[in-house]
Amino acid sequence: MPPWPRCSLMQWTLPSPQSEAAMEQCASVEREVDKVLQKFLTYGQHCEQSLEELLHHVGQLRAELASAALQGTPLSATLSLVMSQCCRKIKDTVQKLASDHKDIHSSVSRVGKAIDRNFDSEICGVVSDAVWDSREKQQQILQMAIVEHLYQQGMLSVAEELCQESTLNVDLDFKQPFLELNRILEALHEQDLGPALEWAVSHRQRLLELNSSLEFKLHRLHFIRLLAGGPEKQLEALSYARHFQPFARLHQREIQVMMGSLVYLRLGLEKSPYCHLLDNSHWAEICETFTRDACSLLGLSVESPLSVSFASGCVALPVLMNIKAVIEQRQCTGVWSHKDELPIEIELGMKCWYHSVFACPILRQQTSDSNPPIKLICGHVISRDALNKLINGGKLKCPYCPMEQNPADGKRIIF
Amino acid sequence: MAVQESAAQLSMTLKVQEYPTLKVPYETLNKRFRAAQKNIDRETSHVTMVVAELEKTLSSCPAVDSVVSLLDGVVEKLSVLKRKAVESIQAEDESAKLCKRRIEHLKEHSSDQPAAASMWKRKRMDRMMVEHLLRCGYYNTAVKLARQSGIETRKKALQSGRREPAGRSPPGHGHAGLPARHTHLPLQGPAGPGPVADADPAVPVRQLPAAPAGEQLRVHAHLAGRPLGDKDTCYKEDGSSKSPDCPVCSRSLNKLAQPLPMAHCANSRLVCKISGDVMNENNPPMMLPNGYVYGYNSLLSIRQDDKVVCPRTKEVFHFSQAEKVYIM
Repeated sequence: MPPWPRCSLMQWTLPSPQSEAAMEQCASVEREVDKVLQKFLTYGQHCEQSLEELLHHVGQLRAELASAALQGTPLSATLSLVMSQCCRKIKDTVQKLASDHKDIHSSVSRVGKAIDRNFDSEICGVVSDAVWDSREKQQQILQMAIVEHLYQQGMLSVAEELCQESTLNVDLDFKQPFLELNRILEALHEQDLGPALEWAVSHRQRLLELNSSLEFKLHRLHFIRLLAGGPEKQLEALSYARHFQPFARLHQREIQVMMGSLVYLRLGLEKSPYCHLLDNSHWAEICETFTRDACSLLGLSVESPLSVSFASGCVALPVLMNIKAVIEQRQCTGVWSHKDELPIEIELGMKCWYHSVFACPILRQQTSDSNPPIKLICGHVISRDALNKLINGGKLKCPYCPMEQNPADGKRIIF
Repeated sequence: MAVQESAAQLSMTLKVQEYPTLKVPYETLNKRFRAAQKNIDRETSHVTMVVAELEKTLSSCPAVDSVVSLLDGVVEKLSVLKRKAVESIQAEDESAKLCKRRIEHLKEHSSDQPAAASMWKRKRMDRMMVEHLLRCGYYNTAVKLARQSGIETRKKALQSGRREPAGRSPPGHGHAGLPARHTHLPLQGPAGPGPVADADPAVPVRQLPAAPAGEQLRVHAHLAGRPLGDKDTCYKEDGSSKSPDCPVCSRSLNKLAQPLPMAHCANSRLVCKISGDVMNENNPPMMLPNGYVYGYNSLLSIRQDDKVVCPRTKEVFHFSQAEKVYIM
């Protein structure tokens, strides 16, 4: 692994501290556009007005000339003067209109310049195309990923259309769970708890293993809805409450709250201390809970792989472009060979830590199957390569606590 | 959303991603401006000509009737000028308003409300997808997607009376979030009848960026393989270490990401295989005698009668046999 000077590269690629300045981009383009819009507005009004005036003036003159008194006579001197004045006025006005419009051009081109200044026009080759052997195959795989994403998002008709247009075949077993999930979610959006309850009951065992309280929440929501129906629903609500029985141990407090709210049924729940039960957010929350639990059950991620990839690409792209520019500027192109490893770490947040990564603190490299992490007797962990480097005369001194030990005593660990 | 994008990061991304989003309506604005100027110049010269004729006649003592008929001509030309000017300005104004709408849409990325910000991110992804689909020639899908995700706004712009190929209504200029890419959409494609040079041939291809956003979807999918993936775990042959949440472990992306370079990690980050939680001082990593490491809290949760079963090898150990490991 080339020991490139990572530290010095890092300092050039951190985002500039003024995030407000970064958001200036849109604002500065917007300013220019606003100016143009204003100019169009005033010009348009002015243009219409002056042409209206001209037409009116000419119309008046024409009416005067066309009056019966003057038929067939030669034009009088005064009228001729008036006419030539009118002609001059017309010429001046229309020529000014044309040149006024031309003046707006500079404002328009300033918009373009603002865009060029604030946005990068090229994604400079951060990805090298040579990486794939066949572009068509890559396209196909990507198309497949898009179809999967669309199914997961519940956009079934779009997915179908794409399959048709791209002649891709998606087998039914893949589609099936999504179709069902989508059906249940749609019902939930319509505030129909039936299909969801059915599903929850049929998957009760596995849901319990996941520590999911979905079934209880569904029952609770139904109960609350009955409550919202007013005092007439009291009997129905009470009899529905027996559904809570299996959840009595885990959700005791919540059941107590709901039973307590019955007292205020006649008064009206909205005016009672239990009005929070009627919150609409419960419906949004149940959709989320259902999606999350159902995905866990099916071994799916809640967010489609494509959207996570895309989002991480969005984060990575400017960083990589930045560093590429720095590398070119400092002319140390050897530093980043596209095949190896990215030259810089890209922070995506802890939710994206899907697999453990161990970086040897001594050699600062990721461990791998060929160079696994080893636990020393003292409990410190280093990579095997580091361990081998530290062997001195058949013995090994831990770099963190000066404990001497036998290299063979190191134990390979798996995270 | 799994990936955390701070406002500063979003702005950086905006800078490199959204050039076409704004540049294309700007080009349309420019084009319409020039067309308006041409119209106004042309009609102005017509008016000037007619007025010059009138002036000539005036200097030679005309009869009233001939003056009246010339005046009629002037009135007519002035009316045409007025009409054309109003039309042209309207068209220019429309494209300037489109620019404005797009900027406002882009500004929403920095909205204070998290719901608005995540809606923006979702729309961004949909925008890129639509564009990618257009580039591949899947017009119907693109339209459907645009419609469903709410980024297709005005259909008026589509029925522009220009020759649109039948059965296809590509998202045109009226779309709030979509740059119009008609001029360099590929000519092939199953639904691609007729030349694509319908909408705006005047926008030269070379002015639009060489690596347009449609490519970005491809680029992003690739880049992502990098920061997310981990050679050994995502690609183990027996699939034993796949994680359902890791995108690189998923079927299609697994294949796509294979040739890509790995992410660079200077610091360790450890995730417990049982719970998916981070292992750190609050949840120290513990090694069982078989060498497998889990978080202390997870071991507590699977402990039964002072014994734990390693989830991966099914070996049974005493809880006390777990040793703490120290990660620097």
